[in-house]
Amino acid sequence: MLLTKPKGKEKLINLFLWASAFFTVFILILIISYVLVKGVVHVDLQFLTDKPRRMGAEGGIFPVIIGTLYFVTLTIIIATPIGVGAAIYLNEYTRENRLTKIIRFGTELLAGIPSIIFGLFGYLFFVVFLGDITGGWSLVSGALTATCMILPTIIRTSEEALKTVPRSYREGSLSLGATRWQTIYKVILPSAFPGILTGIILGIGRAIGETAALLLTLGGSLLTPTSIFHGARTLSMHLYMVAMETGNMEKSFATGVVLIILILSLNIIANFILKQLIARHS
Amino acid sequence: MQARNKLEENFIKYLLLLCAVTAVFIITLLVVFIFRQGLPVFGEHGFLNILLGKAWNPTASIYGILPMTVGTFYVTFLALLIGVPCGLATAIFLAELAGEQVARVIRPAIELLAAIPSVIYGLFGMVVINELIRYMERNWFLNYLPENYRWGYSVLSGAIVLAIMILPTIINISEDALRAVPRAYKEGALALGSTHFQTIFKVILPAAKSGIISAVVLAMGRALGETMALIMVIGNVTMLPQHGLWSIFAPVSTLTGVIALEMGYAGPEHRAALFAVGVVLFCIIAFLNSVALLLIRRGVDN
Amino acid sequence: MQQNIKIMVESLNLFYGSFQALKNININIREKEITALIGPSGCGKSTFLRTLNRMNDLIPNVRTQGKILIDNQDVFQENIDIVALRKKVGMVFQNPNPFPMSIYENVAYGPKIHGIKDKHTLDMIVEKSLKQAALWDEVKDNLRKSALRLSGGQQQRLCIARVIAVEPEILLMDEPTSALDPISTMRIEELIQKLKKDYTIILVTHNMQQAARVSDVTGFFLNGELIEHDLTENIFTKPKDQRTEDYITGRFG
Repeated sequence: MLLTKPKGKEKLINLFLWASAFFTVFILILIISYVLVKGVVHVDLQFLTDKPRRMGAEGGIFPVIIGTLYFVTLTIIIATPIGVGAAIYLNEYTRENRLTKIIRFGTELLAGIPSIIFGLFGYLFFVVFLGDITGGWSLVSGALTATCMILPTIIRTSEEALKTVPRSYREGSLSLGATRWQTIYKVILPSAFPGILTGIILGIGRAIGETAALLLTLGGSLLTPTSIFHGARTLSMHLYMVAMETGNMEKSFATGVVLIILILSLNIIANFILKQLIARHS
Repeated sequence: MQARNKLEENFIKYLLLLCAVTAVFIITLLVVFIFRQGLPVFGEHGFLNILLGKAWNPTASIYGILPMTVGTFYVTFLALLIGVPCGLATAIFLAELAGEQVARVIRPAIELLAAIPSVIYGLFGMVVINELIRYMERNWFLNYLPENYRWGYSVLSGAIVLAIMILPTIINISEDALRAVPRAYKEGALALGSTHFQTIFKVILPAAKSGIISAVVLAMGRALGETMALIMVIGNVTMLPQHGLWSIFAPVSTLTGVIALEMGYAGPEHRAALFAVGVVLFCIIAFLNSVALLLIRRGVDN
Repeated sequence: MQQNIKIMVESLNLFYGSFQALKNININIREKEITALIGPSGCGKSTFLRTLNRMNDLIPNVRTQGKILIDNQDVFQENIDIVALRKKVGMVFQNPNPFPMSIYENVAYGPKIHGIKDKHTLDMIVEKSLKQAALWDEVKDNLRKSALRLSGGQQQRLCIARVIAVEPEILLMDEPTSALDPISTMRIEELIQKLKKDYTIILVTHNMQQAARVSDVTGFFLNGELIEHDLTENIFTKPKDQRTEDYITGRFG
């Protein structure tokens, strides 16, 4: 709160600061409600279960929903062990040395790379170079690319979660004769679980919103994928492609509604888990 | 039994080490693969020809990226011009003015802004912001604008959309920087009879300078790398914006945009050129992020 | 030498939440004297000091009752000009806290925010303040140097100069030498005695010898109460309260 009452010119500054802060809320509400209002009329059970026709200008988005689910699940299955594993190594198995500095630097660099560059890399490496294994433009290629992108997030949040586990837990377990891995597996990970889960959910959110990299690796096929070596489309990709290629804004907005609701739900779940975390540790 | 445990422990340790170095591994692979594809293009067509070439014409094998470079930086700088004051103001508000209740409204809003996918911003921009700008172009400025500047697709719409998208970055990092200023400075200033605002603008803000600059640099990095939202609103015309100040209404193209749009149908030579664009983009952003990281680290040491 | 009463404190109580930090403090402070406040850690002397210039406002959940009259104006009045109050009642903190600016800018900060813009005037004020704080000779050729490069003792003298530059009438000093080495401490004690000529000084210290050396009047705080308040020589040679005597002779604290 303000510690001295503003006079004269300061009243204007005060107004500007308040206005800026509430402007951010205003913009958020504006954008979300606009998309919801424009789109929700076109969202019904049929929309969610029908197949798209005319490149998505008509029909539903069922294959896209399936594609999104496959994609996200696959990404998480791949990214979580690697990310959490890395966090465990950095936090539990070493102290800060040259190797960890290099690892952290690499992770920070990775975090700053724009998605289109990941798309180029994913195309070159997973679609072309490893095409025989991944199936070219496929869910596997897309998931591997997305893994690269969300890895820094998962590592960072997992590390933070591990750090919140009190030292006494480790000492207690080790002094009972448990090995380091047993301690991690049976004591530390369960304790750090909410934090790690939050990180995973954040990663999911990012993956769902990702488009540019996926355009170059998932392919964008409108057929319902039946294997992970097939190409597919996610909600974000579909929204973009329908808007740009068909000009049918209604279907785009409708897709946007599904997308927004998904993201909002994830956010609420993540916050709920976070509150559990805080409650548990108090 | 002990030997088996030891073996198992070591195995796990090295497995986890492998996980940890994955990030480094990925980045190395990334650089190698992309540069391997993109660098030869500079050799074939001439480094300066590409970097400063004013025409991008793949069918004629001409790959000048100046229009896209200009487009990228123009949109980014305009976005910073719009977004930094608003973001910094909000950060000051959160760090110094907001009470518990108010902060509880504003913070989740910022978090959500950061979580919204870029295509949603693009959609909104395409339908709402471009409409507004088209109205302005055709009703207020009709006489000043050439024909192709009247469709709403413009630097301005890109900048507005981008400004909204980088707000969370600016706000979060600036707020951290403001909160990191030692309380002793604030107390000293107030005890001398400063008003709260004098304290903020003459003592706290200057002391948080390096943190705020790194916030801006990081936001700039994010802006330079943005693809989808911009493709949907800026028109994707590979021409240099002209006509002085009216150029904010010009449709442009970005380095990221041209890659995303043309990869789908590019022939081999064209495709290689797009990788070259990727190389340029990567270098710009790696440089910026390193600068930002250095600034943050220096700020922490102080 | 009968001096006027500068500060009158009546029935002052202060609460942090439900904890009462100051209990029914009544004290009159005469002008142009040095009043030392002594007592064990946590007894409320710093809290009391910070009430005089309303710096406790920075702490949430603080509640005060009672009156503090400075020149017959209650600092807790509804519409009091806090900015003017803090200009009149200056404060020097335990840990020197110069701003991360040049020496010149630090001293000029106060006058500038109170409206003085003319460079020549500012130059004069900076010189005068630094001279009064016995720092001028050491820094006069390096005014643009960063204040953070000065030694601890120099930084504290700079903070004193900074306060003097706004021309206060009262100086509140919260353990100003406890973070400094003995030589710097000595120089600042000399400085304080010289400043008595122009300012009313209240000095909080946990160092009894300092209080005995420097002050005219001493107040002894214990557990939020003002136990005894008398001429310094009386407090230290013939204290009236047993608790005062116990503290002076080192039986506790």
